[in-house]
Amino acid sequence: MMFVLDAVSKAYGSTVALHPLSLAVARGETLAVVGPSGAGKTTLLHLLGGVTQPSAGAVWIAGRPLASLPPGRELARLVGVMHQQLDLVPHLAAVHNVLAGRLGEWRLLRSLVSLVAPREIERALAALERVGIRDKLYERTARLSGGEQQRVALARLLVQDPAAIVADEPVASLDPARAEDLLQLLTGIARDDGKTLVASLHSIQLARRYFARIVGLRRGRLAFDLPAAAVSQAHVDRLYDLDERADDLATAAAR
Amino acid sequence: MTWPPRQRASATPRRRPLDGRGVLTLLLGGAFAWSLATVPWGPDLVHPGGERAIAQLLAAALRPELSPPFLALALEASWRTAAYAVAGMTVAVAIGLPLGVVASGALARGALSRLGAVAATRGLLALLRAIHELVWAWLFVAALGLSPLAAILALGLPYAGVLGRIYAGLLGDVPEAPLRALRASGASEWQVLLYGRLPQALPDLLSYTFYRFECAIRSAAILSFVGLGGLGYQMQLALDDLRYGELWTLLACLVALVVAVDLWSGEVRRRLVA
Amino acid sequence: MSRTSPLPRAALGRPWRPSFLVGSLGAALALLAGAWGFVLLADDARSRSALSAAALAHAAEFAGALLGAGSDAPPAFLQAERWWAAAALAYETLAMSVLAIGIAAIGALLTVTLAARNVARGLLRPSRSPLWPALFVVIRAAYIFSRAVPELVWAMLVVFVFSPGILPGALALGLHNFGILGKLCAEVVEDLDPRPARAMRASGGSSAQVLAYAVLPMVLPQFLTYLIYRWEVIIRTTIVVGFVSAGGLGRDFRLAMSFFHYTDVALLLMVYLLLVLAVDLVAGGLRRLSR
Repeated sequence: MMFVLDAVSKAYGSTVALHPLSLAVARGETLAVVGPSGAGKTTLLHLLGGVTQPSAGAVWIAGRPLASLPPGRELARLVGVMHQQLDLVPHLAAVHNVLAGRLGEWRLLRSLVSLVAPREIERALAALERVGIRDKLYERTARLSGGEQQRVALARLLVQDPAAIVADEPVASLDPARAEDLLQLLTGIARDDGKTLVASLHSIQLARRYFARIVGLRRGRLAFDLPAAAVSQAHVDRLYDLDERADDLATAAAR
Repeated sequence: MTWPPRQRASATPRRRPLDGRGVLTLLLGGAFAWSLATVPWGPDLVHPGGERAIAQLLAAALRPELSPPFLALALEASWRTAAYAVAGMTVAVAIGLPLGVVASGALARGALSRLGAVAATRGLLALLRAIHELVWAWLFVAALGLSPLAAILALGLPYAGVLGRIYAGLLGDVPEAPLRALRASGASEWQVLLYGRLPQALPDLLSYTFYRFECAIRSAAILSFVGLGGLGYQMQLALDDLRYGELWTLLACLVALVVAVDLWSGEVRRRLVA
Repeated sequence: MSRTSPLPRAALGRPWRPSFLVGSLGAALALLAGAWGFVLLADDARSRSALSAAALAHAAEFAGALLGAGSDAPPAFLQAERWWAAAALAYETLAMSVLAIGIAAIGALLTVTLAARNVARGLLRPSRSPLWPALFVVIRAAYIFSRAVPELVWAMLVVFVFSPGILPGALALGLHNFGILGKLCAEVVEDLDPRPARAMRASGGSSAQVLAYAVLPMVLPQFLTYLIYRWEVIIRTTIVVGFVSAGGLGRDFRLAMSFFHYTDVALLLMVYLLLVLAVDLVAGGLRRLSR
């Protein structure tokens, strides 16, 4: 198993973001997490990526408890996280942002030299080639378009080469055509390299088309966990519709 | 990595030779190297007794002069420095504000008259602030004799040059919509200034003036070197007579004064601009 | 002090903010009255005589002397070789200013990350060690002292150790601007977007690598802007530091004033103004490059 969550919950102060939830993701599996805004998707992904620790329950990544994996090289070899804001350094050329994925493997001197004369350039080139923007190698990242920056972030993950990729809303800011391109790329990479992929999405259609398994989250609880083919329109309707009705009920009760 | 070699050879992107920032870095590095080269490095660079003097100076930091008569003198010098700073700032605002208004081009209607007025006042402001306050002080002392007025003018003129330039920018940058509304209702440029520009820019104007007040304290301290009293003058006397303990007391007074004004002006500015 | 009595304030329904400003306005007015009263009345009655007819005549005479009136020798600013001599001094002065900003910048760069609150609190390396907050306090205190002491005072101290020339002047300017640049740059680091740095740590970067790949690239452009701005200020101050450290235009200005060679003073002032103007132009060009 790549990820195992055992009765994991997460609360920020008095707000519960995620109610106790158990989940297992096999190696090489592609999993989409869907649900309305505020359903706890980002929290779940942050737990899988080791960005946050759970309030209760236990998270295992590749058989190791998350508590024993502080941010650093070991964790970076297991999981790579693509945040919604990409977290690129806008002032650096694309090549340095891509090679930043190697920092965990490089000694300090090598990383300093690389800022002046890029090291392992063929790695960066290969990664950029794979995401389709080989020609942007020396372009300053701030000058790239949103979609190109997304690809730089993806190339950085390729260079980091973790066993699993966790992507938080990777297509939220892209138009539909580009969104499909990027998902195709992402799932293709996962398939070809045998990587586990967990991504949160807004669109059920995209999730069904590109992922093998879909997890529905609603108000911090697991709504369904099914093979993509088994997710019916009824599931989807309940995921979104019930949520609204629950909201209505809650406001009615509050009155 | 397994790449067909022909692919790598074909389209490896060329690194741009240097962008603007690269050129800038090289220029700065080169300039610094040049400046280092102009220093006549050698054993003559340091005074024979230099180490001993600095050791005594540093040792005296632990024994500042704290006798009541000297503390009274230091306090009086601090107050004098603060008073000169305040008086100099008054002059600076009195000169800088009108010049800044003209330099912002807010009063001129015609394009030509605006260009002329703006260019002339900007030039004047640049001249005022190009000359350091201590140089002004020396010139004024030579011209007017040793009087507080010389110090106040010396502080006020370059500060007027700085304030005027910043005021002009702030007055020119206010949102245009309210000004258009005023003009549409028949207001003259003077009225637009009083009812539109000044009220909109006031928080920033006050904020910047307060910021400069902090700098004025330091300037006032060194203005006294031309022979007018104050912290700088007392420091010079203390150093001339090698009374390092007194120097540290005076330094502490200056730091306290600057930090107090810094904190005050910081609080005021935070509230004005936030 | 307002925190001790929240109730009456709430009862009045007025926020605290304006009252601090009103108090400050009152204090400023009191300070104004006190200062002018002190300067005009208590301090020195001579200030009134400064505008007497005799004083004004003396001022006019001084202005004439600057232009060469009342002297048989040709004014210095009409002699080519004097211009060459002054140009050599301007060259020295320029070197002093560049050396000064270099010293200040290197000092600030070496300390600035430790002087930023977000770094001290663990942006680069989440750490419970009290070393970082302690270093933060020490460096910030050094910044405050460094910039509170004016260049000229630094110069008076530095000449105790170094023999007159460019280096002591540059050191004095550098020591003062170290604190100014340090404070400005630390604020830039504190305002920086922490997410790329955090992401880099998560992907296995060490503190030093995160510094080189995330923090410095994001803050250096702003540092450069401050550096250029301070250089423009420093070039105006070199002449003053030269009075004490005996380097560049300042030394000759002081000598010319002391020996009443007023046409030399005029020449040196002209060269000084040209130098300041040239530096402003170059600084404008550098600013454009940094964009």
